[in-house]
Amino acid sequence: MAVEVLEPFLKGDTGRNTRGLLRLIILCTIAAAAVASRLFSVILDPWFNFRATKYLVQNGFYSFWDWFDDREASHPVAQLVYEPRKPAEEPKRTRTWHPLGRVTGGTLYPGLMVTSGIIYHVLRFLSMPVDIRNICVLLAPGFSGLTAFASYLITSEMTTSPSAGLLAAIFMGITPGYISRSVAGSYDNEAIAIFLLVFTFFLWIKSVKNGSAMWGALTALFYGYMVSAWGGYVFITNLLPLHTFVLICMGRYSPRLYVSYSTWFALGTLASMQVPFVGFLPIRSSDHMSALGVFGLLQLVAFVEFIRQQVPNKQFQTLLRGLIFVVFVVSMGVLVLLTVSGVIAPWSGRFYSLWDTGYAKIHIPIIASVSEHQPTAWPAFFFDLNLMIWLFPAGVYMCFQQLKDEHVFVVIYAVLASYFAGVMVRLMLTLTPVVCIAAALAISSILDTYLVAENPIPKETQANGQATSDSIKSAADVIKDSLRSTRNPVLGIYSYVSKASVVGAVTTYLLLFVLHCTWVTSNAYSSPSVVLASKLPDGSQHIIDDYREAYYWLRQNTPDKAKIMSWWDYGYQIGGMADRPTLVDNNTWNNTHIATVGKAMSSREEVSYPILRQHDVDYVLVVFGGLLGYSGDDINKFLWMVRISEGIWPDEINERNYFTARGEYRVDDEATPTMRNSLMYKMSYYNYNALFPAGQAQDRVRGSKLPAEGPQLSTLEEAFTSENWIIRIYKVKDLDNVGRDHGSAVAFDKGNKKKKTAKRRGARVLRVE
Amino acid sequence: MPPKRASQISPNASVPPIPKAPSSATSSSSSKSSSAPTQTAQTAQTVLFDLWQRYLNTTPQRVKLIDVFMAFLVVVGGLQFVYCVLVGNYPFNAFLAGFGATVGQFVLTASLRIQTNPENKREFGSVSHERAFADFVLGSLILHFFCVNFIN
Amino acid sequence: MRSLTLFAAYLSSIFTTAVADSNLSTPLSSHQILPDNFKPPEVFKNANLLRNINLEKGYVRETVNVVIENIDANEQDTYYIPFKAEAIGNVGGLEVKDKKDPEKPAFRSEVVEYDPYSPTQFYRVTLPVPLAPSAQQTLAISYHVLSALAPLPAAINQQDKQYLHYTFSTYWPSAYLTEKQKTKVKFSTADVPGFTAEPLREGKTFTYGPFEKTPAGVEQEASVRYESTRPVIHATLLERDIEISQWGGNLATEERYWLTNKGAHLSGHFSRVEWARTQHYNPPTSALRMLTLPLQVGSLNPYFTDDIGNVSTSRFRSNIREANLELKPRYPLFGGWNYSFKVGWDASLGGFLRKLKNGDGYVLRVPFLEGPKMSEGISYEKVDLRVILPEGAT
Repeated sequence: MAVEVLEPFLKGDTGRNTRGLLRLIILCTIAAAAVASRLFSVILDPWFNFRATKYLVQNGFYSFWDWFDDREASHPVAQLVYEPRKPAEEPKRTRTWHPLGRVTGGTLYPGLMVTSGIIYHVLRFLSMPVDIRNICVLLAPGFSGLTAFASYLITSEMTTSPSAGLLAAIFMGITPGYISRSVAGSYDNEAIAIFLLVFTFFLWIKSVKNGSAMWGALTALFYGYMVSAWGGYVFITNLLPLHTFVLICMGRYSPRLYVSYSTWFALGTLASMQVPFVGFLPIRSSDHMSALGVFGLLQLVAFVEFIRQQVPNKQFQTLLRGLIFVVFVVSMGVLVLLTVSGVIAPWSGRFYSLWDTGYAKIHIPIIASVSEHQPTAWPAFFFDLNLMIWLFPAGVYMCFQQLKDEHVFVVIYAVLASYFAGVMVRLMLTLTPVVCIAAALAISSILDTYLVAENPIPKETQANGQATSDSIKSAADVIKDSLRSTRNPVLGIYSYVSKASVVGAVTTYLLLFVLHCTWVTSNAYSSPSVVLASKLPDGSQHIIDDYREAYYWLRQNTPDKAKIMSWWDYGYQIGGMADRPTLVDNNTWNNTHIATVGKAMSSREEVSYPILRQHDVDYVLVVFGGLLGYSGDDINKFLWMVRISEGIWPDEINERNYFTARGEYRVDDEATPTMRNSLMYKMSYYNYNALFPAGQAQDRVRGSKLPAEGPQLSTLEEAFTSENWIIRIYKVKDLDNVGRDHGSAVAFDKGNKKKKTAKRRGARVLRVE
Repeated sequence: MPPKRASQISPNASVPPIPKAPSSATSSSSSKSSSAPTQTAQTAQTVLFDLWQRYLNTTPQRVKLIDVFMAFLVVVGGLQFVYCVLVGNYPFNAFLAGFGATVGQFVLTASLRIQTNPENKREFGSVSHERAFADFVLGSLILHFFCVNFIN
Repeated sequence: MRSLTLFAAYLSSIFTTAVADSNLSTPLSSHQILPDNFKPPEVFKNANLLRNINLEKGYVRETVNVVIENIDANEQDTYYIPFKAEAIGNVGGLEVKDKKDPEKPAFRSEVVEYDPYSPTQFYRVTLPVPLAPSAQQTLAISYHVLSALAPLPAAINQQDKQYLHYTFSTYWPSAYLTEKQKTKVKFSTADVPGFTAEPLREGKTFTYGPFEKTPAGVEQEASVRYESTRPVIHATLLERDIEISQWGGNLATEERYWLTNKGAHLSGHFSRVEWARTQHYNPPTSALRMLTLPLQVGSLNPYFTDDIGNVSTSRFRSNIREANLELKPRYPLFGGWNYSFKVGWDASLGGFLRKLKNGDGYVLRVPFLEGPKMSEGISYEKVDLRVILPEGAT
């Protein structure tokens, strides 16, 4: 890769020489800036990945593969974080998805962990002992530096203007849309996946351009790496065939295309099947069928091309055309048939939800319940991409003007990614690279155009360090080799005034962009999800750390094998920070298992208690934002729990019952009995009244006044509540000593003090076991 | 699925080595001359026979060797597929690895053949024959590494 | 860099930390094996003895001032202090000094063992100057007894007062005849609802005795139950690393604590409402809510983290006179609850390292312990101190 950069440097020509060196320095600066801008705050976030990495580093690759994440796990994960020199406690075991357990190695994308494991071992080999934790924290920023470099490479393939690549690199380095997923400590698959995405695209373009099997093989290798790292690899799996298909349809078939695509497909498919979690999907699921179809088509087209070269017989060609058509129709038919008959898995649910935004809500509430899967709000585009959002169409238009093979790719990528980004917030991430590329093309074209003739050095571009050197260099470049295809230079542009004004305007925009990125990074994306940061009136930062408070309490003060039930969003965090087994976590594939938790949360205590007992639940954890006005709490997620469990037990749970007669979702006096008797409601508001003067209890999220009398709990007891009440933990009571059910036991206890309440609370029958 | 797909290709693919072959520079001129007789309505049989004859005459020995190899791969792939259909695909891993290896190898060999075709020189400016062969070796190594790893 | 010779001398704290000294839960390793059926020779007698039992903190501190007299015909220099076998492991920081001359270094004292199964074990004190026949000397003996206090009742409500229970002997267990002795017990409050053996009560102090002519080895059991509504902080393990970086001129200290509150457990469950309500008027509580670490003046860059990352509730006040690190655990620590954490800070090496006048060695002078300074005290079950010298030091 570096050869690209060094090439001019090695040619010997002094002008090119210095320029090459300069470019290298600029790239390094950009990478450094990309890394630095991500270090605003460092808190390790996705704990599951970190835990898995620790396991991998300690027990080696093969046992990681077979890591059965359950309390019976045979490989204890020792405490790397700070390990007592003589262990003060038994080595902890990790476990999830109680009681099912989880073969972790086979149900995750191992790319991330393996990457950090390799880095760890390489560093150790170089005798630089580094804590694996630090590697995990810094992995994302490190890879974002590489991403910036990769976008330089890919943009340089698009245009001859060298400034475009540098601009793309700096855009990629600091754009908030990407920073959001790669701040230090956000140790998630996306951290390395975006680099792999961009780099795979670069290799693909390179391979199409050169028709070289080597580049194709490299594409396949990085594609394999990508598959092992992120579920979003399907995007590549479909984009490359689409590119090929469009090229063929445009009559742009070339042997180069055949070589690169066939090599990529043959090697890439095999590579992707090496990942256990993917396994046979590439030949079983419809998501991957387009690649296979295009592969077959390409073979046919290649064959026909040869025939056509040999036999320019019109009739014969017609014959062949017919043949191809028949083959195509037949294979499509077979495909449809196989899909219908179930040999090939139909499109996965997430895929449908891409086309029909209402689909998920109806059929797979579990997917729709994730906030990342919601359609993107308009402001988010501007927030994440800022000025690039209006440069983007210009860049795409410029691609249309040239429209070589690689430009077709960018155009397709742009169209698809824009659509997807509009459908799902999460996919904004795949849009970001192409926006950076297109915007860089547009800006560099403007700068090149207006700085062509010799000029009064564009000092205006000073402040943005990179931009300065870019423009100087691009100007110099253009003078020398004038290879660049610019639009017809308008006469007026030779005057200083027009030059200065345009360059000044562009520079201002760039500066604004940098300001925006800095602001967004330091404010919006720097606090990880476990910590809520707010500003006090005096400007100092106030940190609300309830999650970790409660998790740490669980970790320190509950039995090692206590099972925690919570909504699945918190599964990884509990597994990682509290080190306790959970019923469901962020990666649970078993919908029924999640629905069970949903049912336990949304039913009456008498129904829930047997469920809790059956699953050996010791503690139940809920998130409650009412005191603080924290809107991401469980009451707001509650309807999803209801919907998901309704999907499995339509007879027992009915979403309608949680709404008032007028169809409102309320928690106050008007709330329906079903709502008020649900375990979730009770756990959230239990004892909350006591915090306020009588009858004044207020829920600050829903902005409503709560019933004067708070809910009563008989089968659970409050174990811990965090400082701001965000996390509430309840202990599941054991069976009553005397064999009474809990309702009457509590009634009896109360009856000792207040005789009359005993009568009222008697309605419930429950037999456990 | 690939098996099915491949099965549709393979009947054709058993032909391709034959017509594909005369793709060398000399054949292009000869194909011109042959276009005259074929223009008159002739049965496909004679056309094929004609092609075959010319292929035998004009293809260099080395390219023939490649073609034989490709034909061999097609046969092996076909056999595997037939076996899979008749006997069952029990070690599915193994079948996939084997079938993938033949398909992959076929494609790589075809790529090599295309790249070294003097007619395509214009397309592959940056790829010399030696480079093409090196690429072929590299691709095959990767391919077989994956297959062996997958076969378990 | 030429290899340095570093003499790392861990001098016990120059700070007089009001903290229990480290106590090795297993008897000291320098055992002297004595013959079986050993009995200290009756060569001394305790002419007068005043014993103070201090129960103000989360552990017991006893100070015994005793006038000893040699009643043998020869010079004697070995004085034995007996403890019960089950208790000797909990006795820590035993120090014997000359009462008349407290500036002198403490006498040599060590655990001796003659029969591991015997119910009585001994500390042996060696007097630096042998005592002539019928001469007298006044000794000041002090030590701590850990894990001797038990909450009674063992579980209380969040708001309740906490009572601790302590059992001891009104006679100081001595291997020698004691002519006259008196035992004083000091509490932090005057609320002592339960006691035995009719002491003389004066406010916060109980006095037992004086007792005349107590023979060797005689005990009279007494117990007290007194109010102490404050946490009983106990560190099951403290790991302390002191890393010297000659290159950066830095002395980095890192301490890892495994704390537990040995006070009364919560009888119900933790109620945040009650806790929040009581926060305003700050009543005494059995929960630990804050730790203060007085660091050496000039300490820098403190950090406070635990297993799951940075703990944001810490404050560092530093000026020329003091450097206090205030730590608030993530949650209040009630009886039976645990909390483990890690604190660390840097300091300039110059203040701790001194070059030897002769040769090229260095002397390092650092406190043995710099733990939290709490009015209720803190006890350590095990302390693991590690000094990391620069690469290449011998």
